[in-house]
Amino acid sequence: MLSSLLRHTAIICASATFCLPLHTAETEQLELEKSELKFGFIKLTDCAPLVIAKEKGFFSDEGLSVEVVAQSNWKILLDNVISGELDGAHMLSGQPIAATIGIGTKAHIVTAYTMDLNGNAITVSNSVWSRMQEADESLDTETPPHPISAQSLRPVVDEYLENGEKLQMGMVFPVSTHNYELRYWLASSGIHPGMYSASDVGGRTSAEVELSVTPPPMMPATLEAGNIQGYCVGEPWNQKAVSTSIGVPVVTNYDIWKNNPEKIFGVSAAWAEENPQTHLAVVKALIRAGQWLDATDTQGTLINRSEAARILSGSNYVGADFDIIKNSMTGFFYFQKTDKRAMPEFNVFFDHFCTYPWYSDGVWFLTQMRRWGQITEAKPASWYAETAQKVYRPDVYREAAKLLLAEGFITEEDIPWDTDGYKAPTKEFIDGILYDGHDPLGYLSKHTIGHKE
Amino acid sequence: MSLLTLEHVNKGFGPAANRYEVLHDINLSVEENEFVAIIGFSGSGKSTLMSLLAGLTQPDSGTMRLRGEIVNKPGPELGIMFQNYSLLPWLSVYENVEIAVRQVFPKMEKGERADYIRHYTSMVGLDNAEWKKPSELSGGMRQRLSLARTLSMKPDILLLDEPLSALDAITRSSLQDEIIRIWNDDKKTVVMITNDVDEAALMADRIVPLTLGPAATLASDFPVTLDRPRDRTTLNYNDTFKTLRNDVSQFMMSLSDEAQTETNDTYILPDIQPKDFTQHTVLSRAHS
Amino acid sequence: MSDENRRTATERIKHFLLQVIDLTALGFLEPVVRLIYGEEPRVQIRKIGRFVAVPILAFLCFVGIWAAWAPHHKTKAGEVPTPSVVSEAYTTILTFSEREDSKEEAYLLSEAERVPLLQQAEAQLLKARTTAQAADEAVAHAQEADTASKKQLTERISEQLKTHKSTYKQERKTRENALKTELGTLSSNESIARVAAFREWKSKQTRLQKSMKEDLARIRAQVNPKVQTALAQQTSCAEEVQYLSSYCDILSKSNKESKLAAIDAEILALQNSMKQADTKNRYKQADKILVLHERRKKVEASSYAKASTLPMQIIRSIACVFAGFLIGTVIAVPIGVCCGLSSTFMAAVTPFIALFKPVSPIVWLPILLIIVGGFIPDPETHWLIQWLWDAPLIGELKINPAFLASALTVAMCSLWATMVNAALGVASVDEDHLNVAKVLRLGFCARLFKIILPSSLPLIFAGMRISLGVGWMVLIAAELLASSEGIGKFVWDQFNNGASDSFAKMFVVVFVVGFVGLILDRIMIIFQRLVSFEGSVAAI
Repeated sequence: MLSSLLRHTAIICASATFCLPLHTAETEQLELEKSELKFGFIKLTDCAPLVIAKEKGFFSDEGLSVEVVAQSNWKILLDNVISGELDGAHMLSGQPIAATIGIGTKAHIVTAYTMDLNGNAITVSNSVWSRMQEADESLDTETPPHPISAQSLRPVVDEYLENGEKLQMGMVFPVSTHNYELRYWLASSGIHPGMYSASDVGGRTSAEVELSVTPPPMMPATLEAGNIQGYCVGEPWNQKAVSTSIGVPVVTNYDIWKNNPEKIFGVSAAWAEENPQTHLAVVKALIRAGQWLDATDTQGTLINRSEAARILSGSNYVGADFDIIKNSMTGFFYFQKTDKRAMPEFNVFFDHFCTYPWYSDGVWFLTQMRRWGQITEAKPASWYAETAQKVYRPDVYREAAKLLLAEGFITEEDIPWDTDGYKAPTKEFIDGILYDGHDPLGYLSKHTIGHKE
Repeated sequence: MSLLTLEHVNKGFGPAANRYEVLHDINLSVEENEFVAIIGFSGSGKSTLMSLLAGLTQPDSGTMRLRGEIVNKPGPELGIMFQNYSLLPWLSVYENVEIAVRQVFPKMEKGERADYIRHYTSMVGLDNAEWKKPSELSGGMRQRLSLARTLSMKPDILLLDEPLSALDAITRSSLQDEIIRIWNDDKKTVVMITNDVDEAALMADRIVPLTLGPAATLASDFPVTLDRPRDRTTLNYNDTFKTLRNDVSQFMMSLSDEAQTETNDTYILPDIQPKDFTQHTVLSRAHS
Repeated sequence: MSDENRRTATERIKHFLLQVIDLTALGFLEPVVRLIYGEEPRVQIRKIGRFVAVPILAFLCFVGIWAAWAPHHKTKAGEVPTPSVVSEAYTTILTFSEREDSKEEAYLLSEAERVPLLQQAEAQLLKARTTAQAADEAVAHAQEADTASKKQLTERISEQLKTHKSTYKQERKTRENALKTELGTLSSNESIARVAAFREWKSKQTRLQKSMKEDLARIRAQVNPKVQTALAQQTSCAEEVQYLSSYCDILSKSNKESKLAAIDAEILALQNSMKQADTKNRYKQADKILVLHERRKKVEASSYAKASTLPMQIIRSIACVFAGFLIGTVIAVPIGVCCGLSSTFMAAVTPFIALFKPVSPIVWLPILLIIVGGFIPDPETHWLIQWLWDAPLIGELKINPAFLASALTVAMCSLWATMVNAALGVASVDEDHLNVAKVLRLGFCARLFKIILPSSLPLIFAGMRISLGVGWMVLIAAELLASSEGIGKFVWDQFNNGASDSFAKMFVVVFVVGFVGLILDRIMIIFQRLVSFEGSVAAI
């Protein structure tokens, strides 16, 4: 009760700060090392903070002239950040960690800003969905009860195995949140999604369902072509499947792990070293963009999301049709054409201290990399903490926040000032297992499938 | 001393086991200012002989000397005018001459060179066509250009390889006059290869027949004792000319007959003799 | 006399025109010119009919068939756009590019110019907002009507489905129970037959349900053209509003001069306050002023961060193909010439030609990206990139490693035709021309540059023409992979967008690519004809 009251006031404050600052507050420009920047993004709605910071003038308020350029896939995006072609980019949470510890391309990437929470869903093809309905009658309605666990997929998986085949599912990148979420969802119902090892970089060892990499925009086409029977991806590619009737989203990552971190804003460590003031200015602008995206009126309605969806639908940004982007961005999600549900927290860009770079997020991704064998040997708990501290830079975030506070853009309660960088332990996973970032090894041991230490 | 001498020159092609001897024991000496015509059937090795004279191919045995010096490579002093003109089609008339002049007289001043080139182009009557490309010239004009280019190199000896065979009769006679005029004016030494007895008799001081190949060689020569300038309109009624022409023709015919018997060809041909309507004899094997 | 002069003058113009037509291989224009000069009108008209009217008719036929067929071909991923949709997409692309241009212009406008423009734009914005609102309402209306009509259509079926489901569930249970009790009294064969019948019945029922569901899905998936048009209208209005509001923003506070003025004002204020300040504050303020000066310099040098537009991407692609083509030619011609000159060298090079020639751009590009990346580890500070950025004309192109890798890919894929042709050209120089060189005793260089190269140029240019064509094809794929700004990236972005008009935009690109390729080919034909001479390979 108290917390909801607090939240309510916070919303009022947030909206108040949104309405007023445009006239009263002014940003104090920093001594920028570099003022013309180029950031990369992938065509997904969660690139919103970058696009909004540019289009709504938050970057230019900081004296930055920013170009935002679409990249064709996560690998090219990372390579371009490493090579210096891009100053920074919209990245998968797992990417900076993986790059820093050397899974895939090795390079020290850091992040001082988390772009959003949630925002993904798992979609299965129509035929898989109808077989799931046959096996589980409770799903055979227009509005089946949620969350749907992978238990309902079990009969389909078995059917495939009996025929000597394996169900194929797509995810977007080996170290993407989607990969871990899909694996988590499958494994939580006892379906083995396959292990990585030094010799199996495809992650298919002892898999019951095989996962493969497909770039997000290709997902619907690949699903329709029948190369995969399901996928886990961000928006608008799940809503696209619904609107074109080629698949059915069965679960969102909000149900797999409530308020899980999704994308971060990554820069190379060398860049951050050379351009500390510019980095600060960028983070300032991004925090304001997140705040703008999550601004609500007194009824709690997100007031800027429709405009954001319109901006994102521009062909040089996400480029999908407005009415598809609008669904998830304005707090709704179509599971089927007849099944539109309110999901106000499908995309979170500011609330729940979303933008803060939490060490505990980094540790969670590290545990997943270890669990599925991408980290090939067991590591001590201290290594998890140290690695997270190498990648996550709350110091930059806090400094930026401090400046914004002084300039009057944000309020005290928007920022977790005295945290140690670890979120409170949570059980809000689909299987209810407790996650405490301070105890990665204990967390690993609680799962049945995957490495336990 | 002769200007150009060939001593026991042999030339053949192919590997030793299956060698095809083209020229055998060629002996020739050409005096300064002399106009020598070598006459032979097509295919008898005339072109090979010309290549040898120009230094483009080397004899297998024997030697060729120019003013007593052994020649073993081509050069501007052996001014050959090729049968098919050998003009550079991407260059204009002027440039075709210029490329030769620049190479042979590298020290010539710019202005002097231009005058020099114009002298030769106008000598052959191409002064109005200086900037035309060879493709825009008629056959006769091309041959004139080729002649101008060769002359511009100031060669010690002018080697003409069937220069007029591809031209029509009218162009041909005017070019014949031109060559004689230039030879006369510049006091050149000329060796001309031809298959036209009339042409040889009209132009040369001496006619040397080339026997039929394989292993063709030079037969004894026919001196041309006609006075110069020779007038082609009256020449046909000149007895010396008629005798010379008949002698050379007869000799060439006999060579051809010999070749027939030698190769044991047993073609049975109609026993008819062609009648000379044109009084202009071009040698060819079809005569037999 | 003057009449005759005039006649010869017009004759000369005609001759010139015909020569130009011949040079550019635009043969179909020849009868037009001849007709203008009244030369055998009947023959010319027949020729025009054949070489001008027939191709136009054929193209119109193609458009007609396309327009008739396209609406009948739909996939779930999208539908084949009709010619009119493609031309609309073309307009959209142009509008986007014009808007970006005007934003860039607005950024640089001076005080006097921008104020009236701003007023105008604000008025437009106001108007656009009202139309946008109307469009929103129209969409809401259309969608409501659509939902209502679909509901009407689906209501009966979904009711049927519901009742069928519940009766089926019940009946299945009763039948199953009845069967179970019955089975106790029957022989095993009979039991099996009974169970089989029951299963048959069950699957028939589920099939029935499935077909009802499919009917529902089909009705729901139907696209309502009214909604479609309303949405398109809404999009165009909303985009207008968005453009105008950011345009206004650029004309006001984001304008370069406004920014500079703001900084100047701040500096002035600081300078004034410095006079009264004490020593400690003086230091601070002096420092601040210096920082502001620094910032002023940066703003002065700044430019509008323009989004890439198709015209700009086309220019960059053309630049890239020429860069690759030049690199390829510079490599191919010397090697080809050496091959032609020396059969030993040819023997050494042949395996490489045979090995590398068939390699696809998709293989070259990643390799070259790594190689270029190795040479240019940090493009921001690398001298070559800096030099290219500062260079006049090409500085605009913002040449980066991805551009270089794409250009090198073009070079690697296209140089073979030039190389092989150069070798062939040099090897097949007329023997007579070489004899001329011998007689003239030309040295190696003179022989090469005065005889061999001029003589093989027509073949080399024929090879270069093939190379440029190949390069242009390869480039699109290379850009697509390298994310190098250009037509290839435009296509990839459109594919990734997956919006309703993306497919149409890709069709626009088909025509753009074809047209540019045609122009490039014509340019090469002209060059090829210029270096050709009598007896050399004829240009096609």
